[in-house]
Amino acid sequence: MRETVSDLAFEVNDLSYRYLQVAALNGLSMRVHRGERVALLGANGSGKSTLLRLLAGLYFPEHGDISFFGGKLTEQRLENEEFFFRFRRRVGMVFQNPDIQLFNPSVFDEVAFGPLQLQWPKDQIRKQVGETLELMGIAHLRDRAPHRLSGGEKKRVALASVLVLDPEVLLLDEPSAALDPGSQAQIVEFLVSWGDRSKTVITATHDLDTLEDIADRCYVLENGAVAGEGTPLAVLHDVALLERTKLVRPHHHVHGEGAAQPHPHLHQHKTD
Amino acid sequence: MHIPDGYLSPSTCGILVGAATPFWYTALRRVQKTFSTRMIPLLSVFAAFSFVIMMFNLPLPGGTTGHAVGMGVASIVLGPWASMLAISIALVIQAVFFGDGGITAIGANCFNMAIVGSLVGYAIYRLIGFRATLGSARRVLGAGIAGYVAINIAAFCAAIEFGIQPILFHDISGAPLYAPYPLSVSVPAMMLGHLTLAGLAEFIISAGIIAYLQRTDVGLLRRTASDAPDFDDAAPSAPDAISLPTARKLWLGLALLLILTPLGILAVGSAWGEWSAQELSDPQVRPQIAAASGNQLPPGRVPGGLERLSTIWTAPLSRYAPAFIRSPSFGYLVSGLVGVGLIIASCLLGTGLLSKGSSESPRERAWMPSNRTRRKSFVEKTMRSLLEAMQHTLFAEDMAAAGGLLQRFDPRVKLIGIAALIVAAIAVRRISVLAGIFLAAILLALLSHLPIRVLATRVWLAVAVFTGAIALPAIFLTPGQIVYRLPFLEWSATHQGLRAAAFLVLRAETAATLSALLILTTLWTHLLAALRSVRLPTVLVAILGMTYRYMFLFLQIARDMFESRESRLVGILAPSDRRRLAAASAGVLLGKSLQLSGEVHIAMMARGFRGQIRLLDERKMGWTNWLRAAGFVAFAAAAVWLGR
Repeated sequence: MRETVSDLAFEVNDLSYRYLQVAALNGLSMRVHRGERVALLGANGSGKSTLLRLLAGLYFPEHGDISFFGGKLTEQRLENEEFFFRFRRRVGMVFQNPDIQLFNPSVFDEVAFGPLQLQWPKDQIRKQVGETLELMGIAHLRDRAPHRLSGGEKKRVALASVLVLDPEVLLLDEPSAALDPGSQAQIVEFLVSWGDRSKTVITATHDLDTLEDIADRCYVLENGAVAGEGTPLAVLHDVALLERTKLVRPHHHVHGEGAAQPHPHLHQHKTD
Repeated sequence: MHIPDGYLSPSTCGILVGAATPFWYTALRRVQKTFSTRMIPLLSVFAAFSFVIMMFNLPLPGGTTGHAVGMGVASIVLGPWASMLAISIALVIQAVFFGDGGITAIGANCFNMAIVGSLVGYAIYRLIGFRATLGSARRVLGAGIAGYVAINIAAFCAAIEFGIQPILFHDISGAPLYAPYPLSVSVPAMMLGHLTLAGLAEFIISAGIIAYLQRTDVGLLRRTASDAPDFDDAAPSAPDAISLPTARKLWLGLALLLILTPLGILAVGSAWGEWSAQELSDPQVRPQIAAASGNQLPPGRVPGGLERLSTIWTAPLSRYAPAFIRSPSFGYLVSGLVGVGLIIASCLLGTGLLSKGSSESPRERAWMPSNRTRRKSFVEKTMRSLLEAMQHTLFAEDMAAAGGLLQRFDPRVKLIGIAALIVAAIAVRRISVLAGIFLAAILLALLSHLPIRVLATRVWLAVAVFTGAIALPAIFLTPGQIVYRLPFLEWSATHQGLRAAAFLVLRAETAATLSALLILTTLWTHLLAALRSVRLPTVLVAILGMTYRYMFLFLQIARDMFESRESRLVGILAPSDRRRLAAASAGVLLGKSLQLSGEVHIAMMARGFRGQIRLLDERKMGWTNWLRAAGFVAFAAAAVWLGR
C-alpha cells in the first residue's frame, strides 16, 4: 500500500475551487504517476489553469485534497520554510503568459531568480544558469531585456527559468499557445526529449495536434470536472466527447483542387 | 513640474533629499510590514502605471491637453506610504532613463510630487469621503478634488523652491545663479498652469479611475476606506457611476475650487513676495532702479527689487497711468503676470518653431475640420508620446551596445562619475568653468561615438527651447546694472540678468548632456546590477527593475488600446466623451495593471519567492575602473575648486 501511494506524484480527490462566486473546479479527482506524462485537455474556462495552480500550491482548494508523493499539500504545510523550498525545488510551473513569468530586467536575472530564492551557493547558480541558457539555445540573449524578445524567445526563457532548478515535476500551461508553428515545434520537440522519461510532466492544452507527442495519458476537463480519460489515441477517437467538450467542432469544407491548405483532420465528413 | 538640473542650488537639492529621506525610510518600513509578499509586484506595477499615466494627454476645455501625475489615484488605492514609494520610483526612472527631471533634483521632485502630493491627496480623500459608502459619488468627488489639490500643492512647493533661489544664491555682481525669479513671479507662473490644465487633468484621472473601480473592483478601494460602512458591499452602485447629476456636482465643486484657490494663492504669494523683496533690497541698486523707472524715486516702504519688477510695467505709461497702477501691490500682481505671460509666450513660440520642423504636413491639417483635428490630436498625441518613450529606450539600448569609450566603463564608474560632474556643473559659480565642463561632456560624447546630431536635436535644442523660454524674461526682470534698453518698451536688459540667463541655460544644457551620456552608453540591466552594489536596499532595486520591465508592457497595452479605439471611432466625439474615453482608458489600464500584479506575485511564489528578494552580487570592480572613477571625481573636484 505504502509503495503505491508514494508512487503517485499527485493524487487529487473531489477538488472544488471558486474565483469570487464562480466555480472553477467542481469535484475533480485524478491521479498522476511518477514519471508519467499527462495532458489536461479542455476548452477555455474548463478549469485547466486553475487545476495546475492548485497542483503547484499557489491556490488552495475550498473542498477536497491534494496529495503530493503521498504527503498532503496544504497551505499550512507550505508555511513551513523547509517544506516550501523543498516543494518549490521539486515542482516547476511554466505559466501560459510569459509576461507574468518574466518579471526580471534581464534574461540572466530571470533564470537566476529561482536558484537565488532557494539560496543555492552563488557559484553554483552562475554555473547552472549558464548551462541552462546553453541547453535552451538562448545563451546569446543573456543580457537582453524580456521586453525586447520575440514570443518564441520569451517562452524559452520562461522554460529555462523553471528548468534551471531541474524539477521532478513540470507543470506546463499551454506551452505552445500564441506561438508561430516553427517556435511551437521547437518547444514540443524539446519537451518530448526532456528528462528521459524520468520526469513527471503535466501539460494543460487544447492543441490536439501534438497530443500524442507530449502525453501518455489525457484527462478531458469540462466545467471543472473530469469528463473523460484515456490514452491520447483513445481520446482523439472519441469524437462525441471532443465535440461535447468543444475541443473540435463539426464543419463542412471542400476537398480537392482549389481547396484550402491541407491540415490534420479530426472531424467527420458529411457525405450528403 | 519636473524640475530639471540647474534650476536649484546644490544645497537646496541636498536639503530636499534630506527632507525626503525620513519619508522614504518610513514608507519602506511601513510597506514591508503591512503589505506581505504581494507588495513588491503591486508597488512595481503601480509605479509603472504612474509612469505611463504621465503620458496620457487628457483633452481639456479650450482644445488643449494636459497630463496628470497619478498621485491622487496612487494614494487612494495604495495608501499614502506605498504611493510615495511608487511615485518616487516612477520619477527616478524618468530622471535616470528618460532625462525628464534632473538627477540632482530627484530629491526635490520626489518631495513635491511623491511625498507632499501623496500625503495631501490621501488626507483630502479621507476627509471628503469620510464615512461615505465605497460606491458613493462623494468618494468620486473626493478623489477628484484630492488629485486636484495634491498636484497644486506639489506645484506650489516647486514654486517656492524656485522662488527662494534668487534670494539665497547669487554671484558677486548680484546675478542669480539658479532659477532667477523671485516668489512674486515663480508662484503665479507655476500656479497658472497647474490650477487650470494639469490640475484638471489630475482631477479627471483621479475621479474617473475611482468611478471606474467602483464599478469593476470595489475591493481595491477598501484599503484606504476603513471608515466606510460595511454593508454597502453588494449595494448596486449605479452602473453609470458618473451620471449627469453627479457630473454636474463634480464640475460645480471644481468651479468653486477654481474660484477660491487663486485667492488663497495670491494672498500667500504676496506674503512670500514681501519677504523676498526685503531680501532683495540693495542700496546700491536703488539709484539705478530709480533711473530705470523714469526718474521716479521708489517709495521708501517698497523694497528695491520688487519696485523694479513693477516698474517694468509702469515705466512705459507712467505719465498717463492712473494712480492705482503705480501702487506697489498692483505692481506685484502685474509684474508677476507679465513674467508668466512672457514665459508662456516664449514657450509657445519655441514649440511653434519646433513643430514647424516636424514631419507632419501642415496642409493635411488645414484640410481637416477643426473638430476632427482636435479629437485626433488627443488620441494621436497620447499615442505619439507612448511610442516615443518606447523608441527612446530602444535607441538608447542600441547606442549602449555599440563600442565607444564610455561604453567600456563599468556602469558604477559612469554613475558615480557623471553624477559628480553634474553636481560640479551645478555648484560652480563661473561661466567659464561651466563651459569647460560642457566641452568635456561633448568630448566624452565624441569619444563614445554618440551621434552629435542626435544630441543636438534631442538634448540641446529641447533644453534651449524650454530653459531658454524661462531664462529670457530674466534678462529684463533681474535688477542690476543696465547694459541695454529696448526701444519703445523701455525695458532694460541688465548685466545681472544676462548672467543669470546664461547660467541657467548653460547649467541645464550641461547637466542634460551629461545625463544623456549616461543613458546612451549604459545598458539598463548593467546599471541595475551596478545599483545593487552601491548598497541600495535590495527591495528597492527589485522594485525598480520590475517597474522598468512592466513599463514597457503598459506602454504596449496603452498603445494597443488607443490604436483599437482609434480604429473603431468614426465621426466626431464631443469633448466630454473624449474626456470620458481618456479616463476610462486609464481605468482599464489600471485594472489590467493590478490584475497583472496579482499574477506576477503568483509566478514569483511558484519559483520560491517568500517575500525576501535575493540578488546575485556583481563582480568586483577592477583597478582600471577605480582609476577611471577617480579621474571623474578629480575632474569634478577641480572644476568646483576653480569655479568657486
